[in-house]
Amino acid sequence: MNYLLHILTMIGLSIPNILGYNLIFGRGKFLHFGPIATSLFSSYAMFLTLRETGNYLSAFFVGLLASLLLSSFFAWLALRLESDALGILTIAMHLALLSVVLNWSSLTRGALGLPQIPRITGMLSLPVFASVSIVIALLWIFFMVRVHRSWLGRELSALAENRAHAEALGINRARVTLSAFLIGGLGATITNTLYPQYIGLLHPNDYQFSNLIFFILCVVAGGPGSVRGVVISIVLLTSLQELIRFLPLPLGLIGPMRLLFFGLILIIAVYIRRKEIFPMQRSV
Amino acid sequence: MSLLSIKSLSLTLGGQPILRGIDLEVEKGEVIGVIGPNGSGKTTLFNVLSGFLKPTHGKIHFKQTDMTGMAASERARIGIGRVFQNFGVFREMTLEENVLVALEALPKEQRLVLGDLKKAVHSTLKLVHLEDHAKKKANSLSGGQMRLLEIARTLVSGKELFLLDEPTAGVSPKMTGQIADLILTLKKEGKTVLIIEHDLPFIQKICDRVIVLDVGEIALQGKPDDVRHNGKLKELYFGADPTD
Ligand SMILES: Nc1ncnc2c1ncn2[C@@H]1O[C@H](COP(=O)(O)OP(=O)(O)O)[C@@H](O)[C@H]1O
Ligand SMILES: [Mg+2]
Repeated sequence: MNYLLHILTMIGLSIPNILGYNLIFGRGKFLHFGPIATSLFSSYAMFLTLRETGNYLSAFFVGLLASLLLSSFFAWLALRLESDALGILTIAMHLALLSVVLNWSSLTRGALGLPQIPRITGMLSLPVFASVSIVIALLWIFFMVRVHRSWLGRELSALAENRAHAEALGINRARVTLSAFLIGGLGATITNTLYPQYIGLLHPNDYQFSNLIFFILCVVAGGPGSVRGVVISIVLLTSLQELIRFLPLPLGLIGPMRLLFFGLILIIAVYIRRKEIFPMQRSV
Repeated sequence: MSLLSIKSLSLTLGGQPILRGIDLEVEKGEVIGVIGPNGSGKTTLFNVLSGFLKPTHGKIHFKQTDMTGMAASERARIGIGRVFQNFGVFREMTLEENVLVALEALPKEQRLVLGDLKKAVHSTLKLVHLEDHAKKKANSLSGGQMRLLEIARTLVSGKELFLLDEPTAGVSPKMTGQIADLILTLKKEGKTVLIIEHDLPFIQKICDRVIVLDVGEIALQGKPDDVRHNGKLKELYFGADPTD
């Protein structure tokens, strides 16, 4: 029972962040590899503030602000750079932020992470935490479905398919791009407000490249831009990720095996969906 | 005052002059044919007018406003509509979404005038007899249907100046007639149209004036009949008779 609740919680917690990323990478086809960088920046801003002030509300707003700021920066890059350059630079940002967190030990405690993250009062028990996560995830799914069906979803698709044709209709690329990245940043903040509370620890290992791979995997396998597909793939892949722990493997092998396994699924998924991920751009 | 005024417009790309000192005044309600051999700069001229390329020299005024430095999306919002040589519909979107996305991009005042956007979408599709395909992806359409959809979408978006780049290219002869009719509808509604076209009879049927581009310059202009029978036209096409 507890294990089921744990898996449900993990699924619920993943949904805001990954569905937000799906809007940018899946629907908008931006080669953006910075969602984990945003998460890392947001959660350290949030929980360092919490450590200093002890006030969850102000900590949340600092985390949100950090997330929206970095998201705006990524949107600005996305508007100015070609796709490949955006991909490389966002990966570089992720790497840079990770190394700041790991090396600025006096502030972040480096590889030890920030321990004893308290849960908000009222969310102490697992059933309550699981329920809250699921409810928030459901609300976010509802919100994302609305977004995808709105002008923003359509304008993202139009720009992704042909930028010139979209702009010739009067679509404002800056507004669309910024909106998508800000929604992604909001999703990242929601996930990262809850996840460290759940495990009671803010740890840099939860913000490694393997997490980015997992995000990309969920979006690609679920069908880029499809809310339903990505939710299904989050449910299946999160369950799988948790269940791998039960394989009769030596402890040190579980991590690498998981990475190898997910890498393999990713390769297959990318191959199957190559046309959707890298759509043909037609010129003017 | 003319609706569109182009003054000594030049464009150099990679050291290569593509447009060379183009002067053109377009009055409101005029339908102007733009012809010329392949590579003479017709599409490039449209790209400069739509805001995809910045001119090296010269000024463009639209409705008395200098729009030389304006972004493409802003030009669309002040009334310039473009129909692309390579089909400007979004193939991965449904027909309905294709029209809706255009209407949603309009300035707020214009959207309010249209009222219920869903209804406007329906009447747009009806105008070109595509209402039964509303939920289908645009990639299921024929070339002619895509072109009709694109022109109708631009018409309903309340554009004033239409830039049509080879609207009959890649279209079956049967559909060409429908496209000509739709362009005549534009004309009847007082729209101003610049149309790139190779089909001279087609041009003669719908245009008030023809300009002939050659290596980035206006080599010849006048009434369609006069241009057609001008010996210089055949010369420009290197002896090939463009009428057959
Ligand atoms: N972006 C560009 N960069 C460099 N040269 C270009 C570009 N676009 C068009 N050209 C060149 O400009 C010339 C005119 O092209 P275009 O306007 O497409 O001709 P048309 O539409 O009259 O057939 C051609 O020689 C073409 O190679
Ligand atoms: Mg051309």
